[in-house]
Amino acid sequence: MTMEPNDSVIYVRSLCKAYQLGESEVEVLKDVNLNVARGKFITICGPSGSGKTTLLNLISGIDRPTSGQVIVLGQDLTIQDEDLLAEFRCDNVGFVFQSYNLVSTLTVAENVAFPMEWSRKPETEIEKRVAELLETVGLQHRADHFPAQLSGGEQQRVAFARALANDPKLILADEPTGNLDTKNGQKITQMLQMLKANGKTIIVATHDPEIIQLADQTLCLEDGRLASPNE
Amino acid sequence: MSKTAFPVNDLLRRKLQTSLTLISLTTCVASTLFLLLFSDQIGFGITSVAQNTLTIGYSAIFSNFLLFVGILVFTVGAVIASFIAFLMTAQRTRDFGLMKAAGCPNGLVFGYFLTELLLVLFLGCILGVALGFLTDYAVINMSVFQAYQKAPNFWFAPLVFVAFFAFGLIFGLKPLLNAARLSPTAAISPMQYFGLSKGNRFKALSKSRITLKIASRSLFRRQSATVRIVVFLSIVFILLTVSIAGSIIANNTTTTRVEKAVGKDVLLVAHKDMGNQYIALLSKFSGAKEKTDFNYLDSNFAIPDTVLQQLSTVNGIANSDVRLVCKGYIQELMNFTFDPETQATIPIGDNREGDSLIVGVEPEKVISAWFINGRFLKNDNASEAVVGDSIAALMFEMPLFQSFRMQNTTFSIVGVCLDPINNGLVTFVPLKKLESLNNGASPNIVLVQLDSSVNRSSIIIQIQERLANVNSNLVVFDLNRALEKNVGFLGAIWSVVMFLPLFTLVAATLCLIGYLALAIDEQRQEFAVLRVMGTKPKTVVTILAVQSLIVLLSSFAVGISLGVIITLLILMSQPVVTSFTILEIGGWLFAALVGMFLFSLWPAVKFAKKPILKIMS
Repeated sequence: MTMEPNDSVIYVRSLCKAYQLGESEVEVLKDVNLNVARGKFITICGPSGSGKTTLLNLISGIDRPTSGQVIVLGQDLTIQDEDLLAEFRCDNVGFVFQSYNLVSTLTVAENVAFPMEWSRKPETEIEKRVAELLETVGLQHRADHFPAQLSGGEQQRVAFARALANDPKLILADEPTGNLDTKNGQKITQMLQMLKANGKTIIVATHDPEIIQLADQTLCLEDGRLASPNE
Repeated sequence: MSKTAFPVNDLLRRKLQTSLTLISLTTCVASTLFLLLFSDQIGFGITSVAQNTLTIGYSAIFSNFLLFVGILVFTVGAVIASFIAFLMTAQRTRDFGLMKAAGCPNGLVFGYFLTELLLVLFLGCILGVALGFLTDYAVINMSVFQAYQKAPNFWFAPLVFVAFFAFGLIFGLKPLLNAARLSPTAAISPMQYFGLSKGNRFKALSKSRITLKIASRSLFRRQSATVRIVVFLSIVFILLTVSIAGSIIANNTTTTRVEKAVGKDVLLVAHKDMGNQYIALLSKFSGAKEKTDFNYLDSNFAIPDTVLQQLSTVNGIANSDVRLVCKGYIQELMNFTFDPETQATIPIGDNREGDSLIVGVEPEKVISAWFINGRFLKNDNASEAVVGDSIAALMFEMPLFQSFRMQNTTFSIVGVCLDPINNGLVTFVPLKKLESLNNGASPNIVLVQLDSSVNRSSIIIQIQERLANVNSNLVVFDLNRALEKNVGFLGAIWSVVMFLPLFTLVAATLCLIGYLALAIDEQRQEFAVLRVMGTKPKTVVTILAVQSLIVLLSSFAVGISLGVIITLLILMSQPVVTSFTILEIGGWLFAALVGMFLFSLWPAVKFAKKPILKIMS
C-alpha cells in the first residue's frame, strides 16, 4: 500500500545517512523508505551497528540525513532549524533511551514536568499531569526522589512518564528494556501495550521478543537497508 | 609511543584547555612581576618609602596601597596557579583511570600527567616573566614616568617564577596523587573526577523554574570546584575594589589635598629668580630640581609695600598672602610625657637636627587650606610652628608634643600638614617672628588668590602693568601650571595602580571560562538529553549563564564588601568621597562584572551550537 505524506505519521523517502570516519565514509542507512500510519506499533530489529538508533534519531529530528526526505506529522524535518526542531520534539515526540538518561539534578516529579514547562503549560495542569503519569507508572511515592535513588527499572518507568508528559502523538524508544532484568522488562512491555491501546504511534528499536510480539509490524535493518523479516 | 611524546601530543590535542591554562598562568605571573618591578622603579617601593619623590605622607599612602595590592595580586596569582593546576589535573582523573584500566602501569600514567603539569607550569611561568618585563618596559617608558627610569631589578624574576611554579606544582600534584591511589573504576566515575558528592541532594529553589533549578543544583553538586572558584573570584573582586575604588578615592583625596595646599587660581608675584625657585620647590614633588646655593634673603627679592598697595587696586583679587621663604636649620628638642598607667615619665624624641624650608606666613591671611593634623598657626607673633609631614616623620617622634629650636628661638609644633613644597621638608612659622629672626628681612613672595569668576589673563596683564611701575624684576607666575603638573603626576600614578589588576582580571575571566568548560563537561550528557526532549539551544546557554551569574554575583558581593571596608577603614584616612566618585567606582566595577560574565558565556554559546549527537558522543 502506498501512502502520501499527509496520510502517514511518518513518511520517509530515499533516506541515506553517512558518517565521515577519518578519511573514509561509512554509509549507515541506504535508501530507506518507510511509511507509518497513525496508531501503528512498529518494532525495528537488526544487529548492533545496523543503523536502528540512527533511524530513530533521523525520525525525531535529532540528526539530519545525508540525503532523502523525513516528514513526520506533516513536517519536513530536514529543512527545519534547531529551535523549530526542538519545539517539534517537545510537543510531538516522546523519546525513551536504553540508558534512561534522567536529569540527575531534578527530582522524579521535576523530570516528568520539565517538557511541559517548556511547552508553557499552566502550573496547575503540570502538577495534575505529573501526578497522573506517576500513578500510571506506579511511582507516585517516589515523586521527590532523585534519579540516583531509584533502581534501573524505576528510572526507565520515569523516562516513560517523561516521554508521555506532553501527550505526544509519536513515541520512539531505543532498546527500552536493554538494560533491565526480566521483571522490569515486563513492566515496560505492559506500558507499551497500554500506549498501543491508547492509539499512540510507537516505534521501538529492540531485540526483546516480548515487545516484538506486540508490534503491528516488525522491520529489520540489515546492511543499512530496511526490510520485513520474512523478506 | 615514547614516554616524552605522549604528554606533548596530549597537550597539543587539548588545544583549548592547554591554551586557557597557559594564558591564565602567564597573565598572573606577568601581573605579579610587573607590580614588583614597577613599584621598585617608581620609587614608592613596596617595602620602603622613598624620600626623593613625594612627601613622606603621600608616599605612605601609595606604599600602603601598593603593598596591599601587591599582596592581593600575589594571592590571586597563587590561587589562580593552584586552581589552574587543580582543574588541569582533576579533569584528567578519568583518563588516569582509563589508562590504568587498559593496563598501563600506575607509575607510567603518573609520569605522563606529571610531565604535562611540569611542561605547562614551566612554559606559563617563563612566558609570564617575559610578559611582565615587557609590560614594565612599556609603562616605565611612558612620558610621565621618564624621571623615574632605572634598570629593573632582575632578581624579582626568579622569585616570582619559583613561587608560582611551586604553587602550581603543589596544588596540581594533589589531584594526581589522589588519582594514583584510586582504583580504575573509581577514577572513571564522575563522582571522582568532577568532585561530585553522592550525598548532596540540594532541593532549594524547588518552586523556581526548571532552568534555575538545574543551574543552582548543578553548582551545589560540583561543591569542590564551585567553592574554589567563588573563593578565588571573591579575592579577585577584593583586589579590583581596592585597586579601582582605592585608586579613584585616593586620587581624589590626594589631588584635593595638593590643590588645597597649593591653592587653585593662585598667582605668584615675586622676583623672577625667587619665583622660579619657589616653583621648582613646588614641582619637586613631580621631579623638578631647585637651585641648592640660592640666597633667599637677597635684598633684591624683597617685596615692597607699594606692590601690595598696587595689588589692592586690582579688581578680582580675593586675597593676598604675603610670605617670607628661606632656608633654616632646626634642632629637635627632647621632651617628656607622663604615662598615667605606669606612672612613669617617658622621654620623647632625640636631638636630631637638619635643614628645612622655612615659610613665614600671616596666619589670618593664608590662602592654603592644608590637610592638617593638629591646628594651624593662630598668632602673628607666637613661637609656634606647623611642620610638613616629611620633617615630622624624619625629625620628630611625636611632633605634636615636641618643640624645636631655630636661631636660638624655641618653637612649639602645633600641627603637621601635607604640603608638596620641598617634598614636605617645610616648616611654617608666623611671618613677624621669622622677619625678626632674620634682622627684619622683608617678605619675598606674594600669593594672590583670584576670584574664580574673573578673566585670568586680563587680571594677569593688569597686575603685570602695575608691577612694571614699581619694580621691573617682579614677575607674575601662574601656579595653576605647577598644580596641574603635580595633579597630573598623581593621576598618572593612580591610573597605573588602578590598571594593575587588569592582568588578574584577564586571568580570572579565563579561569571562569575554564570553570564553565568543566560545568559543560560534567553536564554534557544531561544537556544532550534535554535537547532531545525539546530544549532549545538558548535554554542550554541560559542554564550555563545562570551558573556563571550565581558564581560571579556571590563572589562580587563578598569581594566588593570586603574591598570597600579595606579601602575606607584600613588604607585611607579621611577619604574624599563624592557622589560622582561612587558612580565612577560603580561604573568600573559593573563593567568588569559584565565583561567577565559575557566572556564566560563563550564556551556555553559554542557548546549550544553543537549538534545533539556530537554532544552525546
